Amino acid sequence: MSGVSRHIEAAGAILLALIWISPLLFAFWAAFHSTSDAVNFNVTAPWTLDNFRTAWDGAPWMRYFLNTFLLVTVVLIGQFILTTLAGFAFAKLEFPGKNLVFILVLMQLFILPEVLIVENYAMVSRLGLFDTILGVGMPYMASAFGIFLMRQSFKSVPIELHEAARIEGCGLLGILWRVYVPLAKPTYLAYALVSVSTHWNNFLWPLIVTNSPETRPLTVGLSIFGAPENGVDISVISAATMMSVAPLLIAFLLFQRQFVQAFLRAGIK
Amino acid sequence: MTGAPFVILKDVAKRWNGQLGVEEISLDIEEGTFVALLGPSGCGKSTSLRLLAGLEIPDEGQILIDGRDVTTSAASDRNLSMVFQSYALFPHLSVAENVVFGLKVRRVPRAERAEKMARALEITGLQGYESRKPGELSGGQRQRVALARAIVAGQRLCLMDEPLSNLDAKLRNSVRKDIKKLQRDLGITVVYVTHDQTEAMSMADKVVLMKDGRIQQVGTPDDLYNRPVNTFVAEFVGAPPMALIDSSTVDGFEPGFTLGVRAEHVSIVPDGKGRLSCTVSEAEFLGSETLIGLNHAGTTGLSVLQPGLSLMPEGAHVDVTFDDHNLHKFNQEGERLAGT
Repeated sequence: MSGVSRHIEAAGAILLALIWISPLLFAFWAAFHSTSDAVNFNVTAPWTLDNFRTAWDGAPWMRYFLNTFLLVTVVLIGQFILTTLAGFAFAKLEFPGKNLVFILVLMQLFILPEVLIVENYAMVSRLGLFDTILGVGMPYMASAFGIFLMRQSFKSVPIELHEAARIEGCGLLGILWRVYVPLAKPTYLAYALVSVSTHWNNFLWPLIVTNSPETRPLTVGLSIFGAPENGVDISVISAATMMSVAPLLIAFLLFQRQFVQAFLRAGIK
Repeated sequence: MTGAPFVILKDVAKRWNGQLGVEEISLDIEEGTFVALLGPSGCGKSTSLRLLAGLEIPDEGQILIDGRDVTTSAASDRNLSMVFQSYALFPHLSVAENVVFGLKVRRVPRAERAEKMARALEITGLQGYESRKPGELSGGQRQRVALARAIVAGQRLCLMDEPLSNLDAKLRNSVRKDIKKLQRDLGITVVYVTHDQTEAMSMADKVVLMKDGRIQQVGTPDDLYNRPVNTFVAEFVGAPPMALIDSSTVDGFEPGFTLGVRAEHVSIVPDGKGRLSCTVSEAEFLGSETLIGLNHAGTTGLSVLQPGLSLMPEGAHVDVTFDDHNLHKFNQEGERLAGT
C-alpha cells in the first residue's frame, strides 16, 4: 500500500514540477523558433538563433546587464553593512529602548514595499538620487529581514568566543569582524542569494525611479523592449527574456549544492 | 620580588538585581604562584575570576594587578590570558590562527608571531596540527590549543575556568600535571577555578575555598585539610570529607559543640572497647583500601578506612575509636575553636 502511495506522491511532485517549469520551457522553446512556429506549436519546426540576433540589436542589453549587476552589487553591499551592524547591536549590545526599536524594525516586514513607493520616490528625489543606481537600491538597504536574520545568527554565537576575543585584545568592531562575521558565513551566503535574486527580478520600483538607458536595469529594459507599442513578437521577447534570466539561472544550476547547503546551515526555508 | 603581591582584590563585591553575587572578596596573590578558587557550584568562584579578567566590573572594591588599579579597565588592558571551560576556540580558524589570534589583534610583527607560535606549540606538543580546525581535534587536543593560546603572548597572569571539566578522568590526571609543570616552568601566576577539591589540593600553592559568594578560607592545601576554619571547609575538603560528631554523643565531652575527625584517624576496635558503636551503612572498595561508611545518631559522614579488600555487610555492628589529639573542635556556629 505504502508503495502505491509513494508512487502517487512522486507522480504528483513531478506533475507540479512540470506545471511550474512549463512557462520557462515554452519560452526557451519559443526563443529558438520563428514566431509563427512558436504560436502554432509546430514541434518539428527548425531551430534558429535569429530571435536572439533581433532582440540583441533591439536594445542596449550590455548596458542593462551592467546596470542590473551594479544595482544588485550596490544593494548587497549596503545590506551587508547595515544588517551586520544593526543585527549585531540587536543581538549583543544593551541600549535603552532596544526591544521597542527591534519591534519597529520588524514591523517593516508587515509593510509591502509597494505601499511606500510614493514616499520613497519623494525621498529619493529630495536626496537628488532620482534616476541613479544608488537611488534604485537605497530603499532596500536597511532590510528588516536581513537585520532579523543577522541578529539570529549572531545570537547563536557562544558568548565564550566573544569573551575570549575581548581578553585577547579585540575591540567591539574587531570582535564583530573577526569572530561574528566569519561564523555567520552561511547566513551571508543564503541572504545574498535571496537578495540578489529579488533585486535582479525587481521591476516596479526601478521602472518608476529610472528614466534613462544609463540607469535602467534589465527588467525595465525588457518590459520596454516587449511593450505592445513595439509590436508583440513572442519569439523575440522570449529570446530577450532568456538572455536576461540566463546569468542567474546558470549560476544557480552551477552552485545549486552550495546554495542549498547554505540555506540549510543558515536555518531558513 | 618586591614586597607587594602581584594581584590584589580589596573588598570586591558584585551583585545582580540585589541578589548575591560575591561579597567582600579580599585576596592577595603572589607572583608565580598557583591559586585555586574552590567551591560548590554557585559559590561565586567563576564570578570572582570574571571580575579579575575584566569580563564583569565590580560594584564595590578595588582590583590591582601588578601594582596597577584595573578595577574598571577593559579586559584587553589587563595583560592577562584566560582558558575557558569550553576552550572558546574560534571554529573558523585553524590551530595556528587560533593561537596567534591575540598577537595578530595586537599587531605583533609576523616574524615574532611565528616564533612565539612555534614555541607555544612546542611546549604544548601540538606541532603538526597547525592547519587543523578545532572541529577536527579531540577534546584533549582542543584543551592544549586553548593552553597554547593562553601562554603564547607571554602574559604573566593566566586565568583558568575549570579547564579540565570536559576531559575524561584519565586525561584529566595527565593534563593536571602538565598544567602544573607549565606554570612552574614559565613562572607565571595562575588563578584556577574548580569545583573538584582533588584538583585544587593537588595543584595549588594556595587554595581559596568559597561558599555563597564569600571566601571561607584561604590557605595552603595543608591548612585546609588539617586546620579547617569551619565545618563547611571540613566537610568540603578531603575524600572522604571530615566526619562531624555532636560532642554530646561522645563520652568525656560537654555538649554544645561539634567534633570533626578524618576517616584515617578512626579505627575499628573489638566490641565494647570503642568510643562509638555504629552500624555499617556502605562499603566501598577503592583498591588499596576499603572505605566503610558508618551510621550513628548525632554523626554525619562518619567513615573508616581499612587496608586492602575488607568489605563489611551492611547493618553490621562495629565499634570505633579515635584519639583526642586528632579531633577538630567547632562551636555551634561551625567556627573552629582556638587551640585545637
